[in-house]
Amino acid sequence: MDKEQNMADVKSLEHPTLKVPYEVLNKRFRAAQKNIDREVSHVQNAGNDFEKCLQKSSVSVGEVTQAIGNMVEKLSILKRKADESLQHEIDAARVIKRRVDHLKEVENLPDSAKPLWHKKRLDRMIVEFFLRKGYYNSALKLAKHSEIEELTNIDLFLTSKEVEESLMKHETSPCLAWCHDNKSKLRKMRSTLEFNVHKQEFIELVRNNNRIEAVRHARKYFSNADTVQLQDVQKVMGLLAFPSDTQIFPYKELFDPGRWHILVLQFREENFKLHQLNSTSVFTAALHAGLSSLKTPHCYKKDGDGKSSDCPVCSRHLNEIAKPLPYAHCANSRLICAISGSALNENNPPMILPNGYVYGFSALATMATENDGRVVCPKTKEIFSLDDAQKVFVM
Amino acid sequence: MESCLAVERELDRVLAKFNGLRNHSNEAVEELIHSLQSICNELQSGQDITSTQSAILVQTVKRVRDAVQRVSTEHKELHGSVSKVGKSVDRNFISDFTAVTPDTFENAKNNNLLNEVICEHFLRQGMLDIAESLTQDARLEVDSSRKEPFLELHRILEALKQRDLDPALEWACMNRDILIAQRSSLEFKLHRLRFIELIKEGTRRQKEALSYSRNFAMFGSQHARELQVLMGSLLYLPQGIENSPYISLLEPMYWEEICDVFTRDACALMGLSVESPLSVGIRAGCKALPPLLSIKQVMQQRQVASVWSSKDELPVEIELGKEYHYHSIFACPILRQQSNENNPPMRLVCGHVISKDALNKLSSGNKVKCPYCPVEQISTEAIQIYF
Repeated sequence: MDKEQNMADVKSLEHPTLKVPYEVLNKRFRAAQKNIDREVSHVQNAGNDFEKCLQKSSVSVGEVTQAIGNMVEKLSILKRKADESLQHEIDAARVIKRRVDHLKEVENLPDSAKPLWHKKRLDRMIVEFFLRKGYYNSALKLAKHSEIEELTNIDLFLTSKEVEESLMKHETSPCLAWCHDNKSKLRKMRSTLEFNVHKQEFIELVRNNNRIEAVRHARKYFSNADTVQLQDVQKVMGLLAFPSDTQIFPYKELFDPGRWHILVLQFREENFKLHQLNSTSVFTAALHAGLSSLKTPHCYKKDGDGKSSDCPVCSRHLNEIAKPLPYAHCANSRLICAISGSALNENNPPMILPNGYVYGFSALATMATENDGRVVCPKTKEIFSLDDAQKVFVM
Repeated sequence: MESCLAVERELDRVLAKFNGLRNHSNEAVEELIHSLQSICNELQSGQDITSTQSAILVQTVKRVRDAVQRVSTEHKELHGSVSKVGKSVDRNFISDFTAVTPDTFENAKNNNLLNEVICEHFLRQGMLDIAESLTQDARLEVDSSRKEPFLELHRILEALKQRDLDPALEWACMNRDILIAQRSSLEFKLHRLRFIELIKEGTRRQKEALSYSRNFAMFGSQHARELQVLMGSLLYLPQGIENSPYISLLEPMYWEEICDVFTRDACALMGLSVESPLSVGIRAGCKALPPLLSIKQVMQQRQVASVWSSKDELPVEIELGKEYHYHSIFACPILRQQSNENNPPMRLVCGHVISKDALNKLSSGNKVKCPYCPVEQISTEAIQIYF
């Protein structure tokens, strides 16, 4: 049971842990293919030249050695590039492998070592949560402190940090470089990010009254816009006719600097999609599920006397956070002695005091031996004799 | 486990292929370079190429072109193996859990609260620099009075781990009254450890040990047995405790225990939970997510909207284990519903407990027969109970 349980949570929670580095591997594979193909075609070209040279009626040895030298040079470059590319791919695959190893580890850990693994998992989740929120410093520090850099997707987020920061400074080139880097994937996703960035560049040109340049820019980037984008293009082209402080809708909106922030959000979203990340972090998903499965009406009693100091849902802030969540579903009674916190069952039967409050027999008996057979109800402070306590039967 | 192994299998395959291709293409290209160079060396400078030589050269060039083309093709063929890794990740791991998170959840206020919870979580573990950095990154305002107890807790605990009892003893002394009210044995256990440290040294410090034992006086009634054991050990000082029946006193277990006892009692005293609420919440969540995800699938098949929207309860019971039970829950055995303020648990005269609604349903006139035993009784005699 416990084993199944463990693996069930790995299965449900760790998709991004493996999928993100897989996307890196996939990207490196395509880059490697490109590199190798380029170098191969250079060798082929050198081969072509050599063949042409041999077809001439008379060829000197000098010419031949030169051509051979040329080919050898191209081959060496190919060898180097292919080796580098493959090394890159192997590195990427090893990252996934290390993560799989870490996930696999939990099953064979002795119970005493599990808390440490769980702590690491929590830290991994928090790092990802921080990264998503843009708390890059904290994320880096935590990852370093807990030695989980390799197990978290820090690199991915650091690239996006650069792009986001540059966009907020109204610089487009890092974002465009990123678009170019992930061109084929973005096209598959039908991403409008690149188009929107160019649009923003156009708007900025108009804002700075650089209208001729704006037209040139439009010709370069908008001429092959598809039909959906065409409307957008027409709208921004309309800008050319207005001053940058226009009050007329929709042009005033287009000049709004807040559009940069929208670009940042779009970029973030597409970056997640590109790496198959959910829009919510594992951390929040797990926290919500956990709080909900722990939440009982006792945690929210008006006078607060149902609270337990160990219950997470009863703790100060989490109580507030869990408010909109559903309660745990509970089809069978489970009773706990409010004095000792231990379970009530046939060994520690529930006893009712005359005021209606139920406690465990063990706790009441201990209290009675210390107090000449009297017990004090911790809730109401009433004093009773232990003999007045009666059994209750809960099915 | 299966899921990890499946991914690992594909990964190993890919790694083997990458390594194979790397060696193989390295060798192939190396060999091409070598043969080109040796041809080059055979040619006599200053002369023209003969037709035989030309034919050999044409062939060699062809061989080179084929070989390099093969390198490219072979790499391309790896694509299948690479994408199999991705597919096996997708097949063996669940990618989408958005359906089990309520979407109304993210707002500025909750964000802030959550950040504070995380901050406290790190303070509690003594990871002060991370808590500090989060306060900056998230622009939190953490009251230093909230920080103080955690810092003290951590300082004392660190000292205990270094086997330094002083800060803990000082703290226990200061909070003696509350600790006694809590029935804590912390102070006794701290003194005991110090005493053990003294008798470890044999007769050399026995005077000191004897006079230290006065500290036990106030614990006489509560810890009589343990006290006798400690004093008994004095008999064996000349031969050393390690050669006596009291050797168990030297076990490192006592030091491990003291950290737990201290944490538990100190947290109880400060009204804090023993474990970070965040760790417990997340651990519970990791257990709760898999069943929620599987019920989500069932519900989607039956076109029920979302796991969260349904009612004010989760759609399934999630058994987290005993250590996660913090509150008594009474579920009426007749109606299979959790009790609440409007439908509280009622104890029948015979001692059986059912919910008020069930009692009303079972009553005819003012009489009711207990569903579990033959006792007939008057319904108004049932009394409400509180767990």
